[in-house]
Amino acid sequence: MTHRLAWVSWVGATLVVLSTTRNPLYLGLALACIAIVATRVSSESWAGPAPISPLRFGLVVIPLSALFNALTVHVGRTVLFRLPTWLPLLGGAITLEALVYGVLNGVALTGIFAAFTVLNQALPVRSLVRLVPRAFHQVAVVISIAVTYVPTTLRQFHQIREAQAIRGHRTRGLRDWIPLFVPLLVGGLERALQLAEAMIARGFASSGETGHDTLTRFVIAQGLLALLIGWLLRLVWNQRVLGLALMLAGFGLVLAALWVIGQRVPHTDYRPEPWTGRDWAVVLGAAIAIAPFLLPLPGLDRETIFFYPYPALTAPGFNPIVGLAILGLTVPALLSREPSVVSNHTKKLEKLSSDPL
Amino acid sequence: MKGRLLSLAVYGLSTLLGVMAFVYPFFLPTVQRKATMGQAHAQDAPLLLTLLVGLCFVAMLLEVQAQAGGAKLVALLGILVSINSILRFVEVAIPGPGGFSPIFFLIVLTGYVYGGGFGFLMGSMTLLVSGLITGSVGPWLPYQMFTAGWIGLMAPACRPLVTLMRGRGRWLEVAVLAVFGGVWGLVYGAILNIWFWPFAVGPASQQWQPGMGVIDAISRYLVFYGVTSLGWDMVRLVSNVVLILAFGLPTLRALRRFQRRFAFSYQPDVQVAL
Repeated sequence: MTHRLAWVSWVGATLVVLSTTRNPLYLGLALACIAIVATRVSSESWAGPAPISPLRFGLVVIPLSALFNALTVHVGRTVLFRLPTWLPLLGGAITLEALVYGVLNGVALTGIFAAFTVLNQALPVRSLVRLVPRAFHQVAVVISIAVTYVPTTLRQFHQIREAQAIRGHRTRGLRDWIPLFVPLLVGGLERALQLAEAMIARGFASSGETGHDTLTRFVIAQGLLALLIGWLLRLVWNQRVLGLALMLAGFGLVLAALWVIGQRVPHTDYRPEPWTGRDWAVVLGAAIAIAPFLLPLPGLDRETIFFYPYPALTAPGFNPIVGLAILGLTVPALLSREPSVVSNHTKKLEKLSSDPL
Repeated sequence: MKGRLLSLAVYGLSTLLGVMAFVYPFFLPTVQRKATMGQAHAQDAPLLLTLLVGLCFVAMLLEVQAQAGGAKLVALLGILVSINSILRFVEVAIPGPGGFSPIFFLIVLTGYVYGGGFGFLMGSMTLLVSGLITGSVGPWLPYQMFTAGWIGLMAPACRPLVTLMRGRGRWLEVAVLAVFGGVWGLVYGAILNIWFWPFAVGPASQQWQPGMGVIDAISRYLVFYGVTSLGWDMVRLVSNVVLILAFGLPTLRALRRFQRRFAFSYQPDVQVAL
């Protein structure tokens, strides 16, 4: 089981790669890496197939984005044909460059969609819920209750439908759903009442401590203010460095407040996920993949990363070092099959039972 | 007093930042032209904006959470969110008519009956939980949560209108809510599209035209919206209106009945504690 934070770092790296470059060679390579990881993950995943497959998403999004960009952007030297200029927005030269750029946009979007599909399949809901920061203790409780009660609610819905069917109820129109929905809602509210009583009886939130006091509030307000001013500095007065520094400081303040509040919430970790060498490998691969995109490394020609089809379409360049770095995204697929959880567990049990107590 | 001021500041600042993040893409061409041209500008806008929207959402959520402690609220929210997430299953399972989505009517109605803070949590948590269980977590999630939260937050705004028309418990009330839900069905789509709008705007060199300004960006967005999602959002509008009209009265009645039943408070027995 690869750790949830390792997966998050992998998704983050793919996002950085896909949104930084418009070079079709690098985009294609990144997409291929995601596809490799996706096939591996879906062969091991117990989750069903994704609601919309990335392939279908791409088939819709890429042509749409190409069409839209070609029709509304009239920049570029290779003119394919011209639309009459009296058409608002659409009129003008339709260029090859705009078409190509639209296709590349669509490809990048498809890649982002695919990366998140992998994340959804790789991590069970339980791990995803654990990504909620600890400061949102109450919110996390709400999420856990909701996720836990989903199967119960579904079962209740089937029971209501059966009961109504026995009484001769049929669903023909929209109005026939009322005898199904209202009992579901009332039953749910009834259950919420019982749950609330049980939680109060066990002393939930009886201390009244949320860890969110005046000081942390003040810090958060300061952080937001710094973000706002920094952004305005960058946008309006073109103070790029100072603005960036302020924005980073704002981000830091809000995150620090979150961390402090989280530390105040007492909690017990019943099933800690181990952080193993596999996770280090995934994080390392992700770091290698984004390094040429974010850092001006000495001796590395980053010209090919900033490929743009404008003003006249040229063949995109390819730097083998950048290409090799992108391959770091395949690490989750290259790792050896993990030992199954069940056998690990039985091993532990055997060890426990053999231990003289 | 100090606490109220601070919480007002947090609400105000995060809403301001959120609105700026939503509007920013329209100014992108103008901004990029101002920036250094020569070296191509990295396309960091979508990610940064998603981060910003997420951060504003986090700040706002912390405030709402601090005021909404207590087991009753947590339990009620949890169960209602799970019911609503199941309705989202219907949306994913029946990929038929476009943007048909049965989750909004419960967000509108609970926000309207139980108040804005509850509606905010209901909207954002529904999107989060249903995203978790249907496997659709992505960079669009902060936008979805923020916008659906806004729907619930705004729902109590219908109350004065209903009181004015003396429509409480009658069809008028449901009609007002249906109009509210319908309008938000459209607005929701328009706001959500912004998460990938920066991709469609493209780099500065693409906009290198005299007279290309904010108005052009907005008109481009409108075309983009019309092409990509107006059809979907019309379906969402109609489905919201129809669902609220059909289920509104019985749902309101049930929610109000339980509002009275939930109005109990627990006082610890001090004698026993000592």
